[in-house]
Amino acid sequence: MSSDPILRLEGIVKRFGNFTALHAIDLDISEGEFLTIVGPSGSGKSTLIRLLVGMDDLTEGEIRLRGKRIDQTPANKRPTCMVFQSLALFPHMTVGQNIEFPLRIRGVAPEQRKIRALELLDLLHLPRSYHEKGVTQCSGGERQRVALARALAFDPEILFFDEPLSALDYRLRKALEKELKDLHNRTGKTFVYITHSLEEAMVMSDRIAIMKEGRFVQIAVADEIYSRPVNRFVAEFMGEVNLFDVEGVDGGVFRAPEMEIHVNGGGGDFGLSLAPGETGTLVVRPEFMRFLPSGETADFILSGILHAEYALGSRIQYEVEISGGEMVTVEKLREDRFTGALGDTVVLGFDLEAVHLIREAGHEKH
Amino acid sequence: MRPNKSTRIVLFLYGLLVIGFLYLPLVSVSFASISKARYLTFPIKAYSTRWYAKALESESVRDLVMTSFKVALIVTVVSMLVGFFGALAFARYQWRYRSLFQKVILLPIFFPQMVLGLALLMWFNSLGIIPTWKTAVVAHLVWIAPIATLIIAIRAYSFDPALEEAARDMGASTFTILREITLPLLMPAVISAGLFAFLLSWGNFPLSLFTTGADSTLPEWLYAKMVSGYSPLVPTLGVLSVVGSFLLIMLAFAVVWLMRGIRRAGKAKS
Repeated sequence: MSSDPILRLEGIVKRFGNFTALHAIDLDISEGEFLTIVGPSGSGKSTLIRLLVGMDDLTEGEIRLRGKRIDQTPANKRPTCMVFQSLALFPHMTVGQNIEFPLRIRGVAPEQRKIRALELLDLLHLPRSYHEKGVTQCSGGERQRVALARALAFDPEILFFDEPLSALDYRLRKALEKELKDLHNRTGKTFVYITHSLEEAMVMSDRIAIMKEGRFVQIAVADEIYSRPVNRFVAEFMGEVNLFDVEGVDGGVFRAPEMEIHVNGGGGDFGLSLAPGETGTLVVRPEFMRFLPSGETADFILSGILHAEYALGSRIQYEVEISGGEMVTVEKLREDRFTGALGDTVVLGFDLEAVHLIREAGHEKH
Repeated sequence: MRPNKSTRIVLFLYGLLVIGFLYLPLVSVSFASISKARYLTFPIKAYSTRWYAKALESESVRDLVMTSFKVALIVTVVSMLVGFFGALAFARYQWRYRSLFQKVILLPIFFPQMVLGLALLMWFNSLGIIPTWKTAVVAHLVWIAPIATLIIAIRAYSFDPALEEAARDMGASTFTILREITLPLLMPAVISAGLFAFLLSWGNFPLSLFTTGADSTLPEWLYAKMVSGYSPLVPTLGVLSVVGSFLLIMLAFAVVWLMRGIRRAGKAKS
């Protein structure tokens, strides 16, 4: 990032009594970015966002907005705004009154408020007649848009989102994810979004920050996090994955008990080296696994018994039991469907470009 | 699911029985109030509205009604105010002694009112306060304000704390949040709490008996007349009191209905 960050978090600590919810969080958010903070429940993401908007006090650390400290500024004096998980639309007001609320607080004249509210209704593809509609009469998706319009009416420096889509059904959620990304492009605002859903994060964000137990585990663009996770937690959090324990041997390569390695004809260095005795984890996404017809070869080969087959819509997922009883997951597009029968012995292969090596010992304790 | 026919008949008869049980006494008192006779006798031989005329022109009846009304009105206003803020402390805010407060505030409701009245009388005496209708206001509040608090607290529990946070996030001050968000959302409960407060105070006998001193409220007078020398004004005032309460409830409904109308009109304008 070349330019100065719009928001900088430095050493943010939050403790509740003896419990430390956030351990020295550092983060720079750049202007116009769509950053998503993802983590399982209890990871501290909600705590963090509440600190950022000023609804809770931090224990230690600094928050700077364009270089100016804001961590001691109360929520109603911060130029940021949040879309709540519950949306927090005022039920005793109309859609129009809800959207105009921040403007009214600021003392904007009624005519100008209305003009702005109507513009925002247009922006969010809501009919202008909704201005007079009771907010409780709107559907889930409409309420979502009203909440967005209200937050945009506030015209915040940064717009925060606290899992606002989590209560919606799948199809509506998918549609709104795309709309939100589109809205981000059109408004050019800085969006900071928190969710426990990886899919949501992948679809919308420029960058993803993965959180676990009050710390950031990895902050990177979606592709990077997906294909080069820093540890097993991130790898497993980012969807279906196959993890193999490997161990370094003499000659700068590694071996895994369950697979044959044929890279460079089975010998020599291939870039993913471990020191002798050092352990690591090999990460292979299921879509990079192939069923090998007899006679074909691959960089890495293992064999097992076809155990199960699941239809996932456009894709088919297979489970193969390899030596030691472990399951390997393979995914194929429906058109590339594998024709073997359950119980058959199958040979699986994958290539060097598909693998990622984590230098981390064995199974992590959760 | 719709119950079958015989079940419906049984339910209907049961409902009729319950309503009869509830309203028969009221109906018989109404009949008694329009009896011409000086004494309560059944069956009624001749009807007349003269006791109503008497009640309406009587100076002492007017005093009784005024006293009861004064007490009930002040109790209502104070209960609504105290109940509103009490309910916020009860239900909305996390603070150290909240759970203690929740228990302590409800205790007076479980006191037998006779005992509470006597205790308050002794307390007023030892403070050197001469009981009048004003001390009765205090006594009523001890019992009624907690009830009002509870009624409003139930509503306060049901609203999303994020609403206030969202308002603050969008720049609203504490006072603005109270005026724009909290108060309007709790208003229906505040009105029903006020209604309850008025009716409970208006009809209260045990607390008034001990704490009004030389003043007398309507229920006190009715009781006194019944134990020492029956007056045909008793059923008359009884009925008038019920009618008054009924009109008050209707008025409260009308207010709520009007407020909705105004809000709707306000929406159309803004």
